[in-house]
Amino acid sequence: MKRYRPLIDVSALPTFTFGRSAITWWGTLCYMVIEGMSLVVCLVTYLYLRKNVYHWPPPPTSLPGVLLPGIGAAFLASTNIANYWLHQVARRLDVQKTRIGFLIISVLGAAAIVFRVYDFRQLNTHWDSNAYSSAAWVTVGFHTALLVFEVVETWVFTALMWFGPVEGKHFSDADDNCLYWYFMSLVWLPVYFFIYWSPRLM
Amino acid sequence: MTGTPAVVADTIVLNDEDIRTAAELEKSWRNPPGLIGWLKSTSHTSLGKRYIVTTFVFFLLGGLEAGAMRLQLSRPENSWIGPDLYNQIFTMHGTTMMFLFAVPVMTAVGLYFVPLMVGTRNVSFPRLNQYGYYAYVVGGVFLYVAFILNTGPDAGWFSYVPLAGPQYSPGKRVDVWAQTVTFTEIAGLIAAVNIIVTAFKQRAPGMSLNRIPLFVWSMLVMSFMIIFAMPWVATASQMLAMDRLLDTHFFNQAEGGDPILWQHLFWFFAHPEVYIIFIPALGMVSAIVETFTRRPIFGYPVMVMSLITTGFMGFGLWVHHMFATPVPQLGQSFFTAASTIIAIPTGVQIFCWIATIWSGKPEYRTPFLFVLGFMFTFIIGGLTGVMVASVPFDLQAHDTYFVVAHLHYVLIGGGLFPLFGAFYYWFPKITGRMLSERLGKWNFWLFLTGVNVTFFPMHVLGLNGMTRRIYTYLPETGWGALNLVSSLGAVVIVTSVAIFIFNVFYSLKRGVVAGDNPWGAATLEWATQSPPPSYVFLHVPIVESEHPLWTDSPELPVVTGLRTDIRENLITTLMDAEPDHRQDSPEPTIWPFLAALATGVEFIVAIFTAWGIVIGSALVFPAFVLWAWPVKKEQQHRLAAEQDPLARAGQ
Amino acid sequence: MAQLQVVAVCSVAGACGGNESAFHPAGPQAGRISSLWWFMLIVSAAVWLLVMTALAYSLRKNHNRTIHGHDEEASQRKMKRAVGAATALTVLILVVTLVYDVATGSAMAALPNKDALRINVVGKQWWWQVTYEDPTPSNQVVTANEIHVPVGEPVQIIGTSHDVIHSFWAPNLFGKKDLIPGHTTATWFQADTPGVYRGQCAEFCGHQHAKMAILIVAEPRAKFEDWYRAQLLPAAPPSGSSGKKGEQVFMSRGCPLCHTVGGTRARGTIGPNLTHIGSALTLAAGSLRNTRGNLAGWILDPQQIKPGVRMPPNDLSGPELQAILAYLENLK
Repeated sequence: MKRYRPLIDVSALPTFTFGRSAITWWGTLCYMVIEGMSLVVCLVTYLYLRKNVYHWPPPPTSLPGVLLPGIGAAFLASTNIANYWLHQVARRLDVQKTRIGFLIISVLGAAAIVFRVYDFRQLNTHWDSNAYSSAAWVTVGFHTALLVFEVVETWVFTALMWFGPVEGKHFSDADDNCLYWYFMSLVWLPVYFFIYWSPRLM
Repeated sequence: MTGTPAVVADTIVLNDEDIRTAAELEKSWRNPPGLIGWLKSTSHTSLGKRYIVTTFVFFLLGGLEAGAMRLQLSRPENSWIGPDLYNQIFTMHGTTMMFLFAVPVMTAVGLYFVPLMVGTRNVSFPRLNQYGYYAYVVGGVFLYVAFILNTGPDAGWFSYVPLAGPQYSPGKRVDVWAQTVTFTEIAGLIAAVNIIVTAFKQRAPGMSLNRIPLFVWSMLVMSFMIIFAMPWVATASQMLAMDRLLDTHFFNQAEGGDPILWQHLFWFFAHPEVYIIFIPALGMVSAIVETFTRRPIFGYPVMVMSLITTGFMGFGLWVHHMFATPVPQLGQSFFTAASTIIAIPTGVQIFCWIATIWSGKPEYRTPFLFVLGFMFTFIIGGLTGVMVASVPFDLQAHDTYFVVAHLHYVLIGGGLFPLFGAFYYWFPKITGRMLSERLGKWNFWLFLTGVNVTFFPMHVLGLNGMTRRIYTYLPETGWGALNLVSSLGAVVIVTSVAIFIFNVFYSLKRGVVAGDNPWGAATLEWATQSPPPSYVFLHVPIVESEHPLWTDSPELPVVTGLRTDIRENLITTLMDAEPDHRQDSPEPTIWPFLAALATGVEFIVAIFTAWGIVIGSALVFPAFVLWAWPVKKEQQHRLAAEQDPLARAGQ
Repeated sequence: MAQLQVVAVCSVAGACGGNESAFHPAGPQAGRISSLWWFMLIVSAAVWLLVMTALAYSLRKNHNRTIHGHDEEASQRKMKRAVGAATALTVLILVVTLVYDVATGSAMAALPNKDALRINVVGKQWWWQVTYEDPTPSNQVVTANEIHVPVGEPVQIIGTSHDVIHSFWAPNLFGKKDLIPGHTTATWFQADTPGVYRGQCAEFCGHQHAKMAILIVAEPRAKFEDWYRAQLLPAAPPSGSSGKKGEQVFMSRGCPLCHTVGGTRARGTIGPNLTHIGSALTLAAGSLRNTRGNLAGWILDPQQIKPGVRMPPNDLSGPELQAILAYLENLK
């Protein structure tokens, strides 16, 4: 026969935290790994197909533009200034500033989605032209899916912050959303380089 | 290391306070009533049980397909099954066993037992768990509905292009394959994330890294392999689907694509997948050996290092499936060496188990017998694995029945034997009753006999020229006799599995009532009732040694102070598992189930029209939003319980 | 005719005299692999027995248990030593295997020879097109599902595929090589013992993957040259009224759309070249022995024999069938 022996009382512990101590932070990290791997698969495919031909892109496909997508990439990277601010105010549990931060990111995200239309146009090819076109389109398309999902998620959090009673753990969610936004927006830079610049350099 | 149990933990006496707490917890954690309530459940024990049962149903279906193939091949020029159906059947068998049984059953056992073994009340993301399970069910049902409608995939479980491409596989059969794979990858990835975070952050206080049970370690390694491997096949299968549906050209060599690319992408996932199945099985073996020898596993740190090393090396072998393709010589040598060396960590684990058995006092209960069967059978598969790692020999053995024999020795010996052992071992925990030992022994001996009679002759058949995936063969080949032997062996396997099923149903009703810890095991899943209550642990246990239940103390140290009126888990630190914060655990809801159905609509309609993506997204997004949107009443409870981390800092 | 007898003997004996078996190597490539195999088999069997013995020993009832109060430290030391030794032995065995393996690989790579006979093999659903390379196009022999090679001389197979991936394999002679559309692969072999060796497609290639076999006939140089010269000749003119009628039937039905008969207007390339079909050992890519009855059955309803095969059934009257059989059998 055994008995329970209460040894540790945890009732005074907080009900939400930030960063590495939160489970959602680890969950977000895992999804960043998964999605990062999928992008790696896209880029591996792109490079593997590259080695099969002399000319890249294969004629008569023309080179992708670099300027407009470059502006888009710079814009997406620059959203991190606002994202960083949001990250800081959320960690300070500042309700008003967090609301404003989310609103800003929501708008910037919507703009980034609009920019993406030009990124596709500047590929100067259609996905069914040849293997190069397929690889370029699908890589950009995959990142666009990440972008859209993240922006929609941001909209949902924005709505939660503005309309619902604010729970402490919403700040923790904001923390993770900011983390994911860093990932999503910065991972676009190497993708941009591969898709728009590498055909000129290789 | 003391470890030898003097007193085996037995039933725990509750005081009045405990009984009150139990009633309150039950109110907060129980599943909602009714069918809708059943679908709403976010409990890892409920979902885990369903998951295990579902995977087992698919195992039986895959087994029936194997039986049909053995019947067809039992004599030359048999005309029972034609090529069209046979090709569907062998593709279904491989797809079912790999994607719908072997990997999901391992993740399912993990989702059920990892929280129990680390001492927490639910996985980290219960609603994702719910979503993942139903996505898996949708994928499996979809595959079988298609098969019944004569649209079962027929290009092999590996779907090599160009055979699986739009030109040589018109129709929808291969699309069904590609989408089923996507569903199972979603489910697998979600399970992996849940297992990782639960094992990292929800371990009972005191369960530092060096006290994590080997089974949980194996589940962690498996989960990391999943998140690095599965994106490859998930992305590749979508590329295949796009080649077929949207006219992309990834694998179409006429437009600059490359069929070999598919093989690289596929095997970069599919070779690690073998280890995704095998590594959890190693964890099961460790759990069983420890319990039935009453000894801590010899060389715990070495065992953990071996698991991790195997996990890493599993990614360096994929090209050994492609030795007959034009791969550079140097590359081949590297992959040969890697495929050979991976035998070392597995060998080390086998030696450590044998040492453990030597130092202990083995009890020949059914789970332990299955472990012995694992050693007997798996080692043969491991040795033939070293053989096929050799390029020259593989060029003879590749794509013949020699490889069929090898892979079944590995997957049945290294996966199914431990799994059957685990069923017998953990059945009392899941159901509260013991499986019959007598039937278990019949189950074991028939299975051991059947597997060896079925698969051993295939080694010889393969080297005598019998290639894989053939629906028939000519009498002149001389393969008839051994094929007949093999088919008779399959009858023995079927008998054995039938006995197992009978045993389950019989024991559910008449089995001996198990009690909390029928085997006198050392790990935390045995520190609660069998079956576990809805709240799993009345109090979160505290761990003071590697083997928390092998202790002389009459007291079980526990945590108090978690809320009982809402669902709450204790989150601890990564390395030392010190209490860090309390985290509410989501209430039951229907939305993850509906989101899984919506995902099903998206992927299935997409086979027929690209509008499926649009329609599906229009359904999936709202489902996800409503899943995340807080319910007022629950939110008020949570707000009442809230403790601010900054307030703590200010104290 | 000796070849036909070999096939006949095979089918009677059942065991086939091992004419499709890696256990009966008939050339240096398969021979080296076979030696490696026997070495690995013996080593593996020994390893398995050792581990099982160790397991049985550990399960023994009466050995010195260390359950209560025994010398825990001594037993830990023993286990450490045993596990260490077993691991060291494992590493040693694996290294030796690896060395033997690499040595076999490089020995096999040493066979290529500049003067080798070069044969192009194209995999098609579900048969093999074989072309013997020769600088003079008119000296190139085109056959299907049957390769003749001179004994004791190296042969290079240059392979590709016309549709999906196939894999070319005759276990008595050499290991597999995949035939991949858009890629060219090469493999080498040499047959040292005369005989008829059966090979089969090893990569799943669709419906009739099971019935995609090939025969490799290894014969002395002189005989090989006779065969080669015969293959270079155009089709034998039809003999007798039956043969002439057969030719008419052949040409007026769809046959020429898919099949070539050298020296006639039949120039199809979808199906096998039939110029010398009368002397082929088998029909339908190794599925049937080449007898009149089998040929008749194949022409009338190939879907019965190889469901899914590209050849359609032919609705022929009795006399028409007899005529076409007479015509084809004469194409030696």
